[in-house]
Amino acid sequence: MTDLLDELPGEPMMWVLIVSELLVFGAGLAALSAMRLTDPAGFAEAQAHLNRAGAALNTVVLVTSGCLAALAVRAAQSGREGRKRALLAGAMVLGVVFLVIKGQEYAAKAAEGITWETHPFFTFYYLLTGFHAAHVVAGIVLLGLVAVLRDPRATETGAAFWHMVDLVWVLLFPVVYLIR
Amino acid sequence: MTRDPLLLAWAGLVTLSLAGAGLSLVPAGPVLSLMALSLALLKGRIILHRYLGLANAPRWRRGFDMVLAGFCAGLAGLALLLGTGI
Repeated sequence: MTDLLDELPGEPMMWVLIVSELLVFGAGLAALSAMRLTDPAGFAEAQAHLNRAGAALNTVVLVTSGCLAALAVRAAQSGREGRKRALLAGAMVLGVVFLVIKGQEYAAKAAEGITWETHPFFTFYYLLTGFHAAHVVAGIVLLGLVAVLRDPRATETGAAFWHMVDLVWVLLFPVVYLIR
Repeated sequence: MTRDPLLLAWAGLVTLSLAGAGLSLVPAGPVLSLMALSLALLKGRIILHRYLGLANAPRWRRGFDMVLAGFCAGLAGLALLLGTGI
């Protein structure tokens, strides 16, 4: 058992958090997929209001940010503090870019008079993407904290949280934006 | 040409993301759903293996791969039901 835990990269408690978050988002995505069966036409009509190009762009933004965070871990492990901070700053800036694009999408929905009560699809849309956006905010704060700590283990833990946010988005994107 | 696994992973993720963006042009139906979920599964595996470092933890990698594939298969099953109008 200790052997197995030793094999796991990074902080085990962060993996507990990652698995918990994946279960929560997974349940939400499964619920959306099941609810869609009750009103396929209504869900497709509601989904047509989403900005698929913006969401696809956000996928590229997040996976690029994740790469910078992973490179920051490598820099921290080799003692290159300046490079680590620069890479984490880049990852955080891309996190902010993600939130700006997401904010524009929410603003466009508000301008159309679409709220979370407009259709059950939008209830799931706002819950899932809003909860995810809250994790992006938390991830940016966490990356900022580990950027100032001279501890490679802390950098690895912060980056692992960021990768979880990334992983959730790549699973959320097809279910919310594409499948119809 | 880089051989850095992280940069190769990033290039793979960007390529798959662009392919996903292209799916918005595919008509609604089971083909779209299966392609979208397959791309998500591939991207998820790259993030787990390369970004989160499970490439160096074979037992954990197998476990996460199985659960992720099972989850995507479940979503695909629901999407296929959508296509049949059940």
